[in-house]
Amino acid sequence: MPIVQFTPFSSLVEPTFWHSLTNLKIDVLKLEDHALPVNATYSTGKSIVDRESGQEIGLGCTISLGADSFKSEQEGLSTSTTADSHSVTIHGLFKNYNTLEEFKAADKTALFNQLSQEIWESISSGSTTKLSKFLLITFADLKKYKYYYWFAFPAFVAKPPWEIVGDWESAEDVLGSDLLSRIHTLTSASTPPLPFFLVQNEPGKKVSIAPVEEYSKFFEGVPDEHRTIAFLDPSSSPSNPGWPLRNLLTYLHHHHPSTSKHRILCWRDSERQNGRWKSRFGVVSSSGAKEDGGVRPTSVGWEKNVQGKLGPRMADLGPMMDPKRLADQAI
Amino acid sequence: MHAIQQQYWAVRDYLSPVLKESKFKEHGRITPEEFVAAGDFLTYKFPVWTWEKGDASKAREYLPNDKQYLLTRGVPCLRRATSLAYTDEDEDAERLLSFGDLSSTGNEADEWVETHAGRPSNHDSAGNVGVIDDIPDVDDGVSGAMGGLSISKGGEDAIPDIDDIPDIDDDVVEEEDEATAAPSKSQPKVITADEVEVAKGNLLQVRTYDVMITYDKYYQTPRIWLIGYDENRTPLTPSQIFQDVSADHAFKTVTIEAFPHSATLQAASVHPCKHASVMKKVIERMNAGVIEEQQAQRKGPNSNSGTSTPKDKQKKWLFSRRTSGGKDDKSAVATPTGEEDVEGMRVDFYLVVFLKFIASIVPTIEVDSTASF
Repeated sequence: MPIVQFTPFSSLVEPTFWHSLTNLKIDVLKLEDHALPVNATYSTGKSIVDRESGQEIGLGCTISLGADSFKSEQEGLSTSTTADSHSVTIHGLFKNYNTLEEFKAADKTALFNQLSQEIWESISSGSTTKLSKFLLITFADLKKYKYYYWFAFPAFVAKPPWEIVGDWESAEDVLGSDLLSRIHTLTSASTPPLPFFLVQNEPGKKVSIAPVEEYSKFFEGVPDEHRTIAFLDPSSSPSNPGWPLRNLLTYLHHHHPSTSKHRILCWRDSERQNGRWKSRFGVVSSSGAKEDGGVRPTSVGWEKNVQGKLGPRMADLGPMMDPKRLADQAI
Repeated sequence: MHAIQQQYWAVRDYLSPVLKESKFKEHGRITPEEFVAAGDFLTYKFPVWTWEKGDASKAREYLPNDKQYLLTRGVPCLRRATSLAYTDEDEDAERLLSFGDLSSTGNEADEWVETHAGRPSNHDSAGNVGVIDDIPDVDDGVSGAMGGLSISKGGEDAIPDIDDIPDIDDDVVEEEDEATAAPSKSQPKVITADEVEVAKGNLLQVRTYDVMITYDKYYQTPRIWLIGYDENRTPLTPSQIFQDVSADHAFKTVTIEAFPHSATLQAASVHPCKHASVMKKVIERMNAGVIEEQQAQRKGPNSNSGTSTPKDKQKKWLFSRRTSGGKDDKSAVATPTGEEDVEGMRVDFYLVVFLKFIASIVPTIEVDSTASF
């Protein structure tokens, strides 16, 4: 059986985020470099059909940060007034360094481990709220309008890895359009949006969804073939589920080690498009005994840079921020 | 100079009165209320669009606080508009790049030159904006935004210098992780051959845009703003954005300006000075069709016999959204000219039409998700 391969998160930082970082740095942080909380959002995987070639093109597995990423929940996370029920806010750790040297010399492994530990403790305590967390380290060269940054999205490595029974299939083909539209109604109604949820569709009973924390109670007496574990999937690749599933599987394995097979629904529809559902479905299984559940598994998840290597990225906002260069291109 | 100009625009915007009377059919301009109505319709019909509050200090008092401007994120842009441009000499040449070419290297510029080797190089220098004569060259070497941009310069702009980015990968060591999906270019380790094909087609990296629509008080029309990201999700430079603007409009009607709902943000914007007249023409054409359809309907059994004065009708366009609930909207969508005895196109459709018009200026940015209309 092929190994399940997950699409890693890719960061999309809006220029407004760098603007708020600039303000934060100048007005609030000054020379402080302690870690701060930061928010980011991801939503269901988008794909579009190219009008000319007719090909379907997926739009990556992006996680985006904007102007309100530094705001705490009390201040109102989103400036958007129409809350999207298919977009999830996740929390991260942000650390800005004052010099490039400090940025280079930062103990990234320690920060990464600290975050991994936090996720692991959350898993052990039975909560799914911290399954997707991220780390962002930056150095802002404010004079040159250059921002160096590096994201990490820690995910635990399963040993032996999860395998997919058969292949990832269209959820519509397996579960039927009816069930999907019911799930869509249920997920659309839930506020805040559920990044992970359980679905039971036992015949004769109403389709219902519940948070993953209620696994034992919710699935009590429900036959295996009517138990589905769903998550809001930012990936749009047909055979690769998105990154959040990794830690969810770790969670499931930690709390329900006796269940070796999980029916996974990768929820990718914020709305039904052209009469087709885009969500994917697959059964994942783990073969053989896993190592002792009490020990924190190793984790991976540093984002690769433009060259495809592990390394920081840089956003050069000079052309869009430097007054001099802006004046140059103005007529 | 630019700064002075922007100050002038700000003052002019401040002084110009808020349009009160609806005249969208006469001259293509709309009132803030109509902008809100049309925006409500757009966000209802196409949920990719959302209302935004923007920076509170920049809020416009003639618009509701939570409905300052419209936003949609991550609009894909599959190819460069400059690759669409063609002139008489190119008539025999292939007009468009095939998409396979684009994906294989990710460097559309090279592909373009290769497939059209015989082409005069000054026409579209390697995917950059064509040389535009009436713009003076700037010799300080900084401006990547100018027309006479050499190929190598463009390349540097697009990909940050590797030397610029500190090389610190030695201290982060990640073990080989077989469960991470490989990026599109490298061969995945486990997936079988036919699956690889699928994965390749779907993991293409494309440019994306965040598109904003604001209400321009001076021109009394909506105004479009663009913030672009390249294939690696780093912000686009002005010159790169101009690659996605059709050659007729780059540098003329599309400029980089301060975004009105943010204190610091700069974005590319289509200047709205011609919007009203273009919109008027488009609306006239559409309106004629809509009226015809309505008259045909009126003869039918469902016809509504009530007659009303033009003024009443205008009121209806203005307030139809507020008085009607969500369900009514649905029926209005299904039969846009139905029940209500409104003659012609409703102002709700203004932004839908506007997006179609904008799509002609930025042909490769798929802002027009409204193809069903």
